[in-house]
Amino acid sequence: MTAKQQIIRFESAGLAYSEAEETLSDINFTLGEGEFRFLTGPSGAGKTSLLKMIYLAMKPTRGRLFLFGEDTSEAPRDALPMLRRRIGVVFQEFRLLEHLTAFDNVALPMKVAGVNVNQYREDVSELLNWVGLGERMDAKPPTLSGGEQQRVALARALVSKPDLILADEPTGNVDPAMSERIMKLFVELNKLGAAVVVATHDLHLVQSLGKPVLRIADGRVTRSPAAGGGA
Amino acid sequence: MSETVAGSETPERRSTVRAKRGLFSRWRRNPLLPEAGAGGAPLTAVIAVMSFLAVLAMAAVLIIHQSAGKWTAELQSEITVQIKGADAAEIAAGASAAIRVLNETEGVEEAILKSEEESAALLEPWLGKGNAQAFLTIPALIDVKVTPALRGDLAPLRERLAVAAPGASLDDHATWHNRLAMAAQSGQALALFVFLLVMGAACAVSMFAARAGLAANREIISVLHLVGATDEFIASEVQRRFFVLGFRGAITGMLTAFAALAGAAYLLERGVGADSFLPQFTIGGWSALWLFTVPLATCLVTAYTARLTVLKTLRSQY
Repeated sequence: MTAKQQIIRFESAGLAYSEAEETLSDINFTLGEGEFRFLTGPSGAGKTSLLKMIYLAMKPTRGRLFLFGEDTSEAPRDALPMLRRRIGVVFQEFRLLEHLTAFDNVALPMKVAGVNVNQYREDVSELLNWVGLGERMDAKPPTLSGGEQQRVALARALVSKPDLILADEPTGNVDPAMSERIMKLFVELNKLGAAVVVATHDLHLVQSLGKPVLRIADGRVTRSPAAGGGA
Repeated sequence: MSETVAGSETPERRSTVRAKRGLFSRWRRNPLLPEAGAGGAPLTAVIAVMSFLAVLAMAAVLIIHQSAGKWTAELQSEITVQIKGADAAEIAAGASAAIRVLNETEGVEEAILKSEEESAALLEPWLGKGNAQAFLTIPALIDVKVTPALRGDLAPLRERLAVAAPGASLDDHATWHNRLAMAAQSGQALALFVFLLVMGAACAVSMFAARAGLAANREIISVLHLVGATDEFIASEVQRRFFVLGFRGAITGMLTAFAALAGAAYLLERGVGADSFLPQFTIGGWSALWLFTVPLATCLVTAYTARLTVLKTLRSQY
């Protein structure tokens, strides 16, 4: 039996937006290869802030964060893009580039990685077809509905087959059927080896999949065992 | 991932869409930064003005260089012998003796005695028409074309002229030549300084525009970073954008400057004639190639400055 690689490890990490008070304190948790966690907590508890630290948009103001075994607080700036390329993020506010088509938005991680268009064209088209946007590949985000934009964002997060998938309220703008399909996709990708963290306040969703939960309350992260039924 | 969420597409339709995308994407390269985000038309206009001024400055350097070269070459190959005397007879005798000495001297290619009328005409700007001959004994002037070897050592000729014609003096135009050379060098240095100033201004404009572009595209830059873009990748995108904007502006400026130079050359030729002492606004041969390097230099400076500015700004972020 081979030891699982640690994908995320927080060691006494904290995050403060101002000197007066820490938004997140004493974060200590580990996520291994192929593990799945829900991240729950009330609005404003710090779910997005925790995800931001993981996808390297913010630095912990104290403590350490290890990603794929690398200490990000010690990592040189030039090493960060390589770490980010191993992470697929579905942002809560989608963060699509409005001047690019749906196809180009999804292809973005491949373009910045220097992959030739011939190598990713099929993958991008297939992903867009899968999320039901095969007919809207040339549409730009302002012409897409909220749900469609969310599906483009989802496709963009998955196109590079990341080792770690982070999703911030990924089902917030889609109908229940699509929501279920998206969650099933995360579970399938998780079975294929990707570590997944899904931030949500949809307790029904959390209970339906029966995956372990990280709960944020009062600026601290606590662990809960798998809840509810199971998928 | 074979399941289709929307479930309404047929495989035939999908392949048609893919084929269309493949066909067009071969020629299409969507820039990752939006067209207007990096300064757009105002930057192109400013670069056009910079390029216009830079081409004019470079043209001034070349015109002064060409004209000074032509003037000094003429002065280098010519000397003037002046014969003074108490009356016309003495001057005529001195002139004959001097011509004889000049014709016997090795290195003299041509010696032409100006007529009294021609010499008097040279004084007309100061004394008025006809006054010189009426009131003055006008010295004789001999225009002499010499070889460079003789031009290098005029002392023996000066001595022989002094013996043959005591009223003769030899002017090698050295003072005028030196002043002209110095004036030309100063003019060239000034034009070159203006050229460098314009390039410096292009750098500054590019720096401001790059910073403004980064600020305007903060969200895009952030997303690019988060999907794994390196600073160099983003800087290259900005550099490419600025090169295109700079190239458009630089070519516009160059063509405008060419039109201005052609207009100035036409007006000068019409006003004072082609054989005027004033410099000709024509640049020929290999020198003209220098003018074509100006727009290239302008857009390279613009693009590279933008790249450095972007790299510096991004490195200060997480």
